[in-house]
Amino acid sequence: MTPAGADNLIAADGFVGTWNELAAMDLPPAAAVFVRNSLEALKVVWQHAIDQRETLVAAGARYEPALVEDLLDEGLSVVRQMSGDDELLAPNTVRPAEPGRVWLLTSGSTGRPKRVAHTLQSLLTVKGAQPPRVWLCPYTPGAYAWWQVVSLTLLHPEQSLVCVDPTQSWAATAAEHGVTAASGTPTFWRQALMTQGGELSRMNLRQITLGGEPVDQDVNDLLSQTFPDARVSWIYASSEAGASIAVHDGKAGFPEHWLDRISDGRPRLSVDGDELLISSPHRGVGVNEVLRTGDRVECRDGRVHIVGRLGSDEINVGGSKVSASHVRDTLLSHPSVSWAAVKGRRAPMVGQLVQANVVLKDPAVTEDDLFGYCRSRLAEVEVPRRIRFLDQIPLTESLKSDV
Amino acid sequence: MSQLSRASVRSMMGDVLRRQDKTLPDSDDAALDEIGFRSLDFSELALRVEDEIGEELNFDAPGLRSIRTVGDVLDFIDQLQNP
Repeated sequence: MTPAGADNLIAADGFVGTWNELAAMDLPPAAAVFVRNSLEALKVVWQHAIDQRETLVAAGARYEPALVEDLLDEGLSVVRQMSGDDELLAPNTVRPAEPGRVWLLTSGSTGRPKRVAHTLQSLLTVKGAQPPRVWLCPYTPGAYAWWQVVSLTLLHPEQSLVCVDPTQSWAATAAEHGVTAASGTPTFWRQALMTQGGELSRMNLRQITLGGEPVDQDVNDLLSQTFPDARVSWIYASSEAGASIAVHDGKAGFPEHWLDRISDGRPRLSVDGDELLISSPHRGVGVNEVLRTGDRVECRDGRVHIVGRLGSDEINVGGSKVSASHVRDTLLSHPSVSWAAVKGRRAPMVGQLVQANVVLKDPAVTEDDLFGYCRSRLAEVEVPRRIRFLDQIPLTESLKSDV
Repeated sequence: MSQLSRASVRSMMGDVLRRQDKTLPDSDDAALDEIGFRSLDFSELALRVEDEIGEELNFDAPGLRSIRTVGDVLDFIDQLQNP
């Protein structure tokens, strides 16, 4: 069956045309494809959509022998696109392809990546008729957020797609293609506003979607001020949980009364201790009905804020628990700080000290200035004792902070 | 391993105190309790030294000891740099 968005325009790696103008690919019926660029990734998706084959898409940078061996053992052929001829590895286990199955890889930040089973439909976050939009996609091929944007533009009419490399200046390209909607992490947006503010102001954005990292009020406000005609939304979604929370009121956190609310077709959200639990109809196949997300939440002022990962958000300073996200939010509230990341650093006597990496708007600000600012707002153990100044906001492939 | 002089470490110790509006006395015999140099400050000083020399220090190497005066701190940092 031809997808509803087959006639939508796509722009990627020099190609400008519609989905159904993409060149056909000769792929095994069940294939994991490590792609060389965004355009090749879109070709794989198109082939998947029209053939109803079994597909995994991953960026070439994710290719590593142990993962490939796992995929071959699971009965997938592996295609590695290279600058010359592609490499094709036959599966170690021969089995029939599962029509329509889409596999995603988890980030692998806590070990070897796991595969999570979806379909194009289960990846589609947005239901119902949509206003015509031109979507910016800065994500790495194969990531859950990438699939969300791609499935939207493939399965809904009048949703165009512009793929860009977030490590390059992309705002001019986006403006040239008339981008009206964009999805990205808070780190992605902070970096873009800092380095491409002039070009960004030429964009006529109507929808901005944030996700992938904790979303604070500052970044919401920053985007609302820069793009006054845009609706600023944030979503909570992952390959395992699926798309579970969507907030459109321009505020950080979600309303507390959403907790433990039972509503047909909607994910159920709950909190155990300070961990967010999600029971979502959009979850991956085989994922526990009630998923422990590993994300730490804080309830304040009637909102539930997702503040960071349980393991990494807590810093133990001499037996006192320090929330890295609380320190980060304090730094971000300084008018001359455009970005901050906070972590624990091994130290004598107290085990760990708080260390921050910061990007400034005003280079005249000193470490002592920020120390004094934090000291007047934070408990003594929370104050960052070491502050590194970075020239620019670092981005990883996932567009999240890498510090 | 590059190494910082005792005078350089003393200067850093002064910086740690200065930004808390405290002063480092000239005497190495000054008691840490009296000048308000506490465990967080000591830890910060050690990390400043690490950053300056560009290497991690082995904090466990010198073993347990008593650190009560400015001189004790400088001796300890010196020992960390010369395991």
